[in-house]
Amino acid sequence: MSAPVAPVRLPLVEGGKSYHDITEDIVSPTENAPGTAWVIAFLISVVTLGFGLFCIFWTIYMGIGTWGSNRTIGWAWDITNFVWWIGIGHAGTLISAILLLFRQKWRTGVNRAAEAMTIFAVMCAGLFPLIHMGRIWLANFIFPYPNTRGPLWVNFNSPLLWDVFAISTYFTVSLLFWYTGLVPDFATVRDRAKGIRKRIYAFLAFGWTGKAKHWQRWESLSLVLAGIATPLVLSVHTIVSFDFATSVIPGWHTTIFPPYFVAGAIFSGFAMVLTLMIITRKVLNLQEYITVEHIESMNKVIVATGSIVGVAYLTELFVSWYSGYVYEQFAFYNRAAGIYWWSYFGMMLCNVISPQFFWIKKLRRNITFTFFMSIFINIGMWFERFVIIATTLARDYLPSSWSYYMPTWVEVGIFVGTMGLFFTLYLIFTRVAPVVAIAEVKSILKTAGDQYIGEKANDGDHKNSAH
Amino acid sequence: MNQFTFEGKQRTVLLGGMVLGLVCLVLTFFIDPLEGSHHARFWSNLLHNTVFFTGIAFISLFVMCAFTTAYAGWFVGMKRLWEAMSLFLIVGLVLLLIIVAGLWGHLHHLYHWNVEGVSTLGHENYDRIIAGKSGFLNKYWYTFGTIIFVGVWYMFARKIRSLSLQEDTSGTDAYTHFKKIKFWSAFLLPIGAFTSAAMIWQWVMSIDAHWYSTMYAWYSSASWFVSATAFTILMLIYLKGKGYYQNISDEHLHDFGKFLFAFSVFWTYLWFSQYMLIWYSNNGEETIYFRQRLDSYPVLFYGNLVMNFVLPFLILMRNSTKRKHGTLILVSLLTFFGHWWDFFYMIKPGVVINAGGHADHGAGDHSDGHEVLGAAADHGEHASSFMAGYTLPGLLELGIFIGFLSLFIYFVFMKLKEASLVPENDPYMKESVHHHV
Repeated sequence: MSAPVAPVRLPLVEGGKSYHDITEDIVSPTENAPGTAWVIAFLISVVTLGFGLFCIFWTIYMGIGTWGSNRTIGWAWDITNFVWWIGIGHAGTLISAILLLFRQKWRTGVNRAAEAMTIFAVMCAGLFPLIHMGRIWLANFIFPYPNTRGPLWVNFNSPLLWDVFAISTYFTVSLLFWYTGLVPDFATVRDRAKGIRKRIYAFLAFGWTGKAKHWQRWESLSLVLAGIATPLVLSVHTIVSFDFATSVIPGWHTTIFPPYFVAGAIFSGFAMVLTLMIITRKVLNLQEYITVEHIESMNKVIVATGSIVGVAYLTELFVSWYSGYVYEQFAFYNRAAGIYWWSYFGMMLCNVISPQFFWIKKLRRNITFTFFMSIFINIGMWFERFVIIATTLARDYLPSSWSYYMPTWVEVGIFVGTMGLFFTLYLIFTRVAPVVAIAEVKSILKTAGDQYIGEKANDGDHKNSAH
Repeated sequence: MNQFTFEGKQRTVLLGGMVLGLVCLVLTFFIDPLEGSHHARFWSNLLHNTVFFTGIAFISLFVMCAFTTAYAGWFVGMKRLWEAMSLFLIVGLVLLLIIVAGLWGHLHHLYHWNVEGVSTLGHENYDRIIAGKSGFLNKYWYTFGTIIFVGVWYMFARKIRSLSLQEDTSGTDAYTHFKKIKFWSAFLLPIGAFTSAAMIWQWVMSIDAHWYSTMYAWYSSASWFVSATAFTILMLIYLKGKGYYQNISDEHLHDFGKFLFAFSVFWTYLWFSQYMLIWYSNNGEETIYFRQRLDSYPVLFYGNLVMNFVLPFLILMRNSTKRKHGTLILVSLLTFFGHWWDFFYMIKPGVVINAGGHADHGAGDHSDGHEVLGAAADHGEHASSFMAGYTLPGLLELGIFIGFLSLFIYFVFMKLKEASLVPENDPYMKESVHHHV
């Protein structure tokens, strides 16, 4: 007998699915030829990626002078993009790790795609610090190992180095987590496949046969990885925030940065998950697995994290006044009323004000509205990083060095190129792996399928099983 | 046994505790190593305990609302306890009003910003930095915030409590009460998040009026939440021992144990972020806060970390220790006292400075309180660097702690008595009973 379910809970798997239906529905996209929409999207992504690669080549060949950065504003578009992409990655780990620990059933519908998104987003993010080095052929200098260069060691006191460790650890753990979840699903794909496909998936499935022992080990590994990944979610963006907060730059040096960056990262990550899932569920016809209920839950996370970010913005703003420190006060005056006032305004509008619409249930469950909001929030979170970085640097202590920053086509091209990279990888992912975690959805079917709970439950014994 | 009986023996013990606390509190009015400090020991003890226990009441309301909004089902079996704890806000408000009255009557000197002429240019007490903050640090805001904000929290606590009680008697399958509770819960969350930050700045952070940290409010809230969780665990184990709450199993305690573990780590994360960022930038205006505490209050400083991070982290790491009553009781007692200690550590050093060092505030720089402590210590019979009630909680402080704790428990028992311990007709009740980790 399955555990009782409260009558107020809504189903998470619709359409009265059987276990076999679930396999059919989720595996079939990997077995059929791609549709026209996919091919067009893929071509656009690859072309964009190609342009991005050209811009990266141009930067390396011509030098960093092809960017709009200048002596005053040494960090601008590139670091903004870096922080933006890293932040986006956080939702995947939150969904897979923290929501697993909290036993949230709705995570099963979206965790696979969100974890994939994490990995791709971290790849995009990692590009920027590398290019920003200027002389990328010296990139091996970031690894601390005994060497013949003096020896020349990395600066262990620098948060930029901690970033290298934090992000590579994060990437590794996210990849392991994602792959662990995929193993039983690859086995499912293998069992249906023929020929070369079967051999490839047999290899990827690590000889999974679905024995009780396999499941037991798989469960404990998932839990251990969740335990490791949970502090990681916090640590990665904490260390990214240290890049700014350990400095003595007014507007950067503030103690709330670590938790506020983490909340912001989860906020933007969920927005990206929504953008992707709303399209994916439609194109791959997965509306019965990624239901309006899932979208509403994610919208709740958005309004919660958006408001946390809002509390942090206002705390910062208030304390800058309260500090009695003129430079700090000026930094915030400059953000709100200086040359980049529009980016501050955009940030407040997109991140703090607009998510408040999600207090209204109708809007939380409105897919079109949610889609536009998710794009809006992604823009807002990009602006947040731009505000923190470019606006702050543009007005430093010496008015004679005040400057203005505008991106060049090269920088825009690299950013667009990372979008291309992200979507190329994501589109390939939707073709080769089950986009929804088959085994995990099956595990919640008896307690969340609409034939068992909710209004449509057809079996008298199961209906509102809490009674 | 769904109906709690407040036994005569419990009553006697708790009343005894309260009397002890009151006696100790009154004694600190007269026994104060800091002479001429406007009875700083008395007032700071009152503030310390009031903020600590009011905070626990607030955070239990806040977390209950957050759980309700997040569709959590497992905890509803014990939600009457959190309802009872949240109603303590009204007592907290009364206690805070005493401090407010002290502010208006200049009976205490907890807040240097309340000194006459501190923001009047040309006055001998003029302090440029405090003058810049006087738009926020003034008795009007303090009074307004305390009355209105704590009052609003209390109104929410009452509203949710009354809906929950109505559900017992007139709840139906339509779950209208549950939906209303959900509405009010969601409503409280943003209000609570903003206002609690503003109040903690006023009540505690403004004691060190020159100093500021954006992390402060979240740090204090984390401290409150760990204390509230520890208190909840202790209460549940006690009540289970008395034969109540038989539906609350080791599975539930395990989950509370996880919360205690997770939020002890979270508290440490916030502690570390705040300390590390200030240490790294090495900016005198900010480092002074930790410099004073490291130099003159080392036991408070390190004790805080040992009680609230090292020990709970090591003890609760294992799965089994989150299920065994013995270890749970040990860690809960430790962290509950530890976070009371944390607030002591936040409040007292600033109080010492305000008690002794007005004169040198004029230039806008800090007195680190060292000389005040030194002078007070020399004044005493033996030149110890410890000063009961300031650098360490003295016996009187422990008595006061017991007194406030007794008051809190007494109040909670009074409220538990008023209704069934188990909410009837709650849609999640069955899930909660069958909760399995």
